[in-house]
Amino acid sequence: MSDVTLTIDGRRVTVPEGTTIWDAAQTLGIDIPVLCHDPRLDPVGVCRVCAVDVGERTLPAACVRAVSPDMEVRTDTQEILAHRRVLTELLLADQPAVSQREQTTGDDKLYALAREVKVTDIPWPDQSERQPRGQDASSPVIAVDHQACIMCDRCVRACDDIQHNDVITRTGKGYSARIAFDLDVPMGESSCVSCGECVAVCPTGALTHQSLATTDAG
Amino acid sequence: MRLLSELESIQASTGALTDEALKAVAERRGIPLYQLQGLRSFYPVFRETAGAAHRIQICRDGPCRLHGQAKAKALAEALDDDSRIDVEYVSCLGQCDCAPAVAIDDKHYGTLPQASDIDVLLDRPNALERPAQPLAAPLPTDPYPTQTQHYTTSREWLARPAEQVIEALEASGLQGLGGAAFPTARKWSFTRAAEGGPRSVICNADESEPGTFKDRLLLEQAPHLIIEGMLMGAAVINADTGIIYLRHEYETARQHIETALEQARAQGVLGDNARGPGLAFDIELFISPGGYILGEETALLEALEDRRGEPRHKPPFPVTAGLHGGPTLINNVETLAAVTTILARGAQWWRDQGVGDYAGLKYFSVSGDVEHPQVVCLPWGSPVTQAIAACGGMRADRDLLAFSPGGASTPFLPASAADTPMAFETLREAGSGLGTGALFVVGTGRNLADVVITQARFFRNESCGKCVPCRSGSTKGVAMAYDAVNKGGRDISQPLSELHDTLMRTSICGLGQVALLPIVDALKTFPDDPSLKALQKDNA
Repeated sequence: MSDVTLTIDGRRVTVPEGTTIWDAAQTLGIDIPVLCHDPRLDPVGVCRVCAVDVGERTLPAACVRAVSPDMEVRTDTQEILAHRRVLTELLLADQPAVSQREQTTGDDKLYALAREVKVTDIPWPDQSERQPRGQDASSPVIAVDHQACIMCDRCVRACDDIQHNDVITRTGKGYSARIAFDLDVPMGESSCVSCGECVAVCPTGALTHQSLATTDAG
Repeated sequence: MRLLSELESIQASTGALTDEALKAVAERRGIPLYQLQGLRSFYPVFRETAGAAHRIQICRDGPCRLHGQAKAKALAEALDDDSRIDVEYVSCLGQCDCAPAVAIDDKHYGTLPQASDIDVLLDRPNALERPAQPLAAPLPTDPYPTQTQHYTTSREWLARPAEQVIEALEASGLQGLGGAAFPTARKWSFTRAAEGGPRSVICNADESEPGTFKDRLLLEQAPHLIIEGMLMGAAVINADTGIIYLRHEYETARQHIETALEQARAQGVLGDNARGPGLAFDIELFISPGGYILGEETALLEALEDRRGEPRHKPPFPVTAGLHGGPTLINNVETLAAVTTILARGAQWWRDQGVGDYAGLKYFSVSGDVEHPQVVCLPWGSPVTQAIAACGGMRADRDLLAFSPGGASTPFLPASAADTPMAFETLREAGSGLGTGALFVVGTGRNLADVVITQARFFRNESCGKCVPCRSGSTKGVAMAYDAVNKGGRDISQPLSELHDTLMRTSICGLGQVALLPIVDALKTFPDDPSLKALQKDNA
C-alpha cells in the first residue's frame, strides 16, 4: 500500500493509504473531538462532532473519511466550531439533570465536550418531557438510562463486534430510536452476560455500573 | 430467500412479527435476536401485534393535509369506537392525486371516504373512489404503438458496442430524474469502468416524497420501458443481476411489473441469454418494507442486504462499491424509461421534444390546489403555469399563492415565479429546484406556515435516526416551529436558520440536509406572509 500526503490545518502529513483523517490528525497531535468514535471500534461517523472541512458541499466525519492525495483538511474553522457547539447542545438539551457517569467516574465525554466548546445557554427545546426515553434497572449489574443515551452505537459495536455477545441493537427509528436488548426486553431478562464491555465504552451516563447502594435498596 | 422478504411474508400471512415468530426465524437462520428486533422496529410495514381485522391509513402530508385535515379528523373520530378497524396517520402514500388519500388493509388506495361508506368499503375496498388518470398506455414517451413491438429497441442495440449506448445518452443530455440530476451517460460510463463484482442494475422505484407519484404511472402503464432500460444498463455495465426496488404502496404497479417480467422471460428478453449468447440477466422485484429514507440509494442498498435502511457514508459511491460491494448502477424509474425512449427514437428526437434548448419530455406530478391533480407529460422547459393549466387550472375559489416545484425538499416560490421554465438550472436559479418534478400548488387563503411546517415534519418523521443533526435537529426544529405558532413569544427565524446550517452541512444524507429547509427558506421568500409572521417576531 502506498503513502498519501495531505494537509491538515496547514500542516503537511504523510500517512498510509486508507488512513482516516482522524487518525492522520492524531499523528500531528491534532485532537479532533469525537463522541461516537473509539479507536478500538469500527468507525460509524454518526455523532458528527468530528466533521471537518475538505472543501466539499458537506462536512465529512473525520473518523470515517479516508485521506486522499493533496487533500486540504480544516478542523478548526469558525464554521466547524459553530456546528460542533450546536451538535453538543442538541445532545445536552435532552440529558437528565445529573449524569450518572459524571457523578461516579467523572468521565462523561458529552459533558467534557460541552466544557471544551463552551456551551452556556442551550437554545433548543428539551424533548425529554414530551418524549421521555425511560430507564431500565432490571439488570443487577448495569444501570440503563435511555435518557442519557446519545445513540453513538459504541455499546452495540462493543457487544456485537468485540465481545460477540450479540445482545444490543438500535431499535426504532428517528427521534424515538434507542438501544434495545434481544427482542427489546429489559436488560435483566435478556441474554446479556453482564460482561461490562458496554459500560466501559459508553461515553455518557446511559450505561453505568449499578451502585451497590442502589442494588441493596432495590 | 432474503431475510427481509421472509419477514414480509410472515407479516403478510399472520398480520404481525411476534416475538415467537422472530425466535423461530432466529433459530432457523442461526442469527441473533437483536438483528431481528433492529429490522422489525425500523420498517413501518412490520408490527409486533396484529391489531384489528381492518386498517385504514390516512396520509398526513402536504397535499393530503391541505385538502383533508378536517375530513380526516372526522373519519378518525367516527371510527374511534369501531373495534373492527385500526385508524392511523401515515406518511405520504404516493396517491397525491387522490388527496386526501387513504389505504385500506395495505392493498387498496383512494380518496378518503365518508364514515357512512365504511361498511360498504370493508366488503368491497375496490369501490374506494379514485380520480381518473387521463394519461394511459401508450404513454407519450412510449415508442411502441403495440405490445408486439416491445423490446425491439434492445434487440437492435444489444448488437452494438456499449460505447454507442453511452454516446447516445450523452447526446440526449439525459440527467437523473429521481431528483439528483446526475448525467446518466456519466453514471453508466463510471459503472462500466468500475472493476470487480458482483455487478447489479437497480431501478429505484421508491419515490416517496410528498407530492411525488409520477413513477407510479410509468410503472403501471409502461413497465416494459423500465425493464428494457435496465437490460440496456446491464449490457453496458456487464451485470447479470437486476432489482426493481418498489415502494409497498404501489400495489397495482406491482401486479403490472410482475406480468411484464413474466412476459419478458417468456420472450427470452430476460434469462440465460438476455444480453447475448451465454450472458444472463434477470430482474427481481423487491417490495420495500416501507420508509421514505429507502429512496436514498445507499439506504436502499442496506435494505437489500437485510439491514436497517440507514444511509451509508459516501464515498464510496454505489457506482464503484454498491450492492454487496460491487459496482452498482442505480437509476430512477423515469430515467430508465427515458433511456429506452432515447435509444428507440434517437437522441436528436429527444432533444427536439424540449422547449428551445431544453431536451426531452418530463413527467410532472401535480398536486394541491389545482382542479384535477394528476401526472402530466410536458416538454422540458415548459413554464410552471403550463403544468397548472394542464390540470384544469387553479381550483375555482383560489388564485396561486405559492408552489414547490420538485417535492418537499424544494423550497416554495411565490406566484410571481410561475413563468419559470421547469428545468434543473432555471428552478435552481429561481431559488428552488426541479427535484423529482413534483409540483405542489398552494392557493390563496391557505396557511403557508402550516404547509411548510408539514413539509419539515415529514422529514422529521422519516429520519432514520442514524446521525445526530438529523435525528435531534429535525425534531427540535419542528418543535420550535410548532411552539412559535401555538404559543408564540419567540422569534425563531435566527436560531432555526443556525440549526438548518448545521443540519445542511453535517448530516450524513440528503434527508437531514434539507429537513428544515422548507421553513427556513419560506421565512426568507415570504417575509410578509401573515401565517409566517408568527415564527418571526416576538409576539408574546
